[in-house]
Amino acid sequence: MTKQRSRMISVRIKKGYDLNIAGRPSMETETAAPPARVAALPERIPFVRPKLRVKAGDRVKVGSVLFVDKRNPEIKFLSPGGGRIEKIDLGPRRVIREIVVVLDADETHEGFDTVSEAALDGIDRDELVRRLVDGGLWPLIRALPFRDIAGPKDVPPAVIVSIGNSQPFHPQPEIYLKDKADLFKFGLKAIRRLADGNVQVSISGSRPQLQTDLDGFITHRTIGRHPANDPGVLLYHTKKSAVENRTWFIDGQDLLLIAALLKTGRYPTERTVVVAGSRALEKKHLRTRLGAPLADLVKGDIRKGDSRLIAGGVLTGYSTEPETYLGFYETALALVPLGDAREFLAFVRPGINKPTYSRTFLSALSRADLEMNCNLHGGLRACIACGHCMDVCPVEILPQLTYKCILAGEVEESLEHGLLDCVECGLCSYVCPSKIELFDTLKTAKAAYYKEIS
Amino acid sequence: MQVIKNIFNSQRAHFSAGGRFEKYYPFFEAMETIFFAPADTTAGGPHVRDSLDVKRYMTIVIAVLIPPLLFGIYNAGYQSRLAAGLSPDFTAVFSRGLWIVLPLVLVSYAVGFFWEILFAVKRKHAISEGLFVTAMLFPLTLPPTTPLWQAALGISFGIVIGKELFGGTGRNFLNPALTGRAFLFFAYPGNMSGDAVWTVISGAKDAVVDTFSGATPLALAALTENGSVAAALSKAGYSFARLFWGLYPDSIGASSALLCLVGAVILMVMGIANYRIIAGDVLGVLCTGFLLNLAASECSSPYLLLNPFYHLVMGGAAFGIAFMTTDPVSAPDMNSAKWIYGFMIGALTVLIRVFNPAFPEGIMLAILFMNLFAPLLDSIVVRLKLKKRVPNV
Repeated sequence: MTKQRSRMISVRIKKGYDLNIAGRPSMETETAAPPARVAALPERIPFVRPKLRVKAGDRVKVGSVLFVDKRNPEIKFLSPGGGRIEKIDLGPRRVIREIVVVLDADETHEGFDTVSEAALDGIDRDELVRRLVDGGLWPLIRALPFRDIAGPKDVPPAVIVSIGNSQPFHPQPEIYLKDKADLFKFGLKAIRRLADGNVQVSISGSRPQLQTDLDGFITHRTIGRHPANDPGVLLYHTKKSAVENRTWFIDGQDLLLIAALLKTGRYPTERTVVVAGSRALEKKHLRTRLGAPLADLVKGDIRKGDSRLIAGGVLTGYSTEPETYLGFYETALALVPLGDAREFLAFVRPGINKPTYSRTFLSALSRADLEMNCNLHGGLRACIACGHCMDVCPVEILPQLTYKCILAGEVEESLEHGLLDCVECGLCSYVCPSKIELFDTLKTAKAAYYKEIS
Repeated sequence: MQVIKNIFNSQRAHFSAGGRFEKYYPFFEAMETIFFAPADTTAGGPHVRDSLDVKRYMTIVIAVLIPPLLFGIYNAGYQSRLAAGLSPDFTAVFSRGLWIVLPLVLVSYAVGFFWEILFAVKRKHAISEGLFVTAMLFPLTLPPTTPLWQAALGISFGIVIGKELFGGTGRNFLNPALTGRAFLFFAYPGNMSGDAVWTVISGAKDAVVDTFSGATPLALAALTENGSVAAALSKAGYSFARLFWGLYPDSIGASSALLCLVGAVILMVMGIANYRIIAGDVLGVLCTGFLLNLAASECSSPYLLLNPFYHLVMGGAAFGIAFMTTDPVSAPDMNSAKWIYGFMIGALTVLIRVFNPAFPEGIMLAILFMNLFAPLLDSIVVRLKLKKRVPNV
């Protein structure tokens, strides 16, 4: 392997905010029991318009095509398990929610072409793209600013590989990269072919173990509060010209899947996820597989009705049910209290245990972890220009003003305000005392603009 | 607690959709949320939210206004009994003060709440807690002799013209409490300025003791023609210390610079008031005062030579700086604009006081004037900020 020695660039991000939420996972890792069924959740993949390629009762192998994207039928999504399609769950307006596969005791795998490390240097770029597309892992590579699946025919200005998601309760890279440094480097080599060598590998903060294991391969170190290591944040703070706006990105753990696909010729399904949150009985890292049933992973009183199960992070994830499965992109599961009780005289309490960004509760004196629930903690009010949202925005958008642009229908002005730089971290909504849905408004406006131009 | 909960639960049906008083739901919501926080949970991401809400935000402002209110009550009673030649016995003074001030506060709240409910019902939004701050600030800026009907008129003007006409809370570009006061100031100057309005004199006029003079420090300062202003003030009994502590005739809540300072510090520590505005204000007052010192010549008014710190403790400057300039809605949003906004308010206050004989006090007009410029300052700063972004379209 050619050793790439390069100086690591430190990027300091001044804004952002780390939630002091209780219920963090331990660094302990456990292998989850093998599931009886797995599923794909087309509904949870942003922008994709799924077109089914299987029907209930069909037999599939690990890696058989389940559905493709109508917008570009080249983009395939493969079966995370081998067995029989038990059911295809359609929601309202025939949204495809789940494609459930009952696993055979002895799963069979589709075969894909393997690439040796030596061959990777000389492989044709189009050929590599074709293998990733056919291997079902192309959707792991996404393009900024809209975070849709990258265009297989496009050449990106750069690719950012993000190691370490700082949103609460996400897998620690030290765990998923353990003993996999070589596989990771193999994956990097492949990604480098995609971007003409222009690949940035960023880690969050100080991670001595990784800095040793991946010595010379890490190009950027992001220092700062969440979401400092988000690819969009890194791009915002390093970009010099508008050409770079269409940079691609991939998560560190996902890069391992790509490497495994190319190396083994099998559709890889291994996933390290975190189960955490103050209501989860066991808060730790779990080695499981794509599409595993959530009920197998999360232990706790999930069905009692006073907790919420969140997939994909407490800030940006979606609320889900234990009866469903692990999505394609999600690696974090959190069980937090619902908090739907009416609290007596909440607004005059000293608030020693009330988490807040502001300095208006006694809890501001300490940074200790506090239990957070899903209560809004207040009613919707008009913006009072407190400025908290712009104090936390990691990409220096002025969220309250951008929000007003959007509400006034001024699309051009909102773009000028940097709407497309929004990394959809959700901090603006988190801190808003008026409980304005800034995050949702900005995200929706961004997606609407994307639909209009594509 | 359960009793209160039951009361609300039993009435909820009437105010909910389909109920008899459906229209008045904002009233129900305002009453209920005083006792119980809403049970609403997040509909989507972010699933967890900060514990701070506007209710607490505004409650903290009201809480720091309580000391100036209490002191204002005492001071109004004290000045009134002093003028009448009665003993400054604490209970008597305080009850006298209550008799003067409480009706003004109650009228302000009742009338303000009426307008807020009317607009909330009409526009179908929740009652904003900002009202409770406005209705508290307004009476504190009035002379104790203000007739109740004028207070009602003033708060009405402030809420309706100063706020609701422009879309309600969050959209007002003027400070509503000051808008109301400015209305009274120009509509009824006889009741809002001069030497007679700052002390309630009850009973027969001849009961007034001979030594009583109603002149405020600001009026004295403006009228001083020979000698130093500080000497003239101290001759009238207004030493710097007394001006700082606040026991002298002035607007109800504004006289004590000490309590305004305490309030400002609490608000800044809690992050409710922006320190940039307050620092800008103070710098503006001091720099302008100091420049006037330098510019003064022999033939100019001795007011120019006044130690600039006097401007901070006299009249309503401290109150305006602590509680009026820091209203986030009528101030600029951008941090750098806040410095300019504050500085200009401070500078204008001193300039109006010193150079405009028609207005002994300048802070009200300075704040309202800079309220008008806040959007322009924001616009300039935002433009500069956006220029620095790498375009992304």
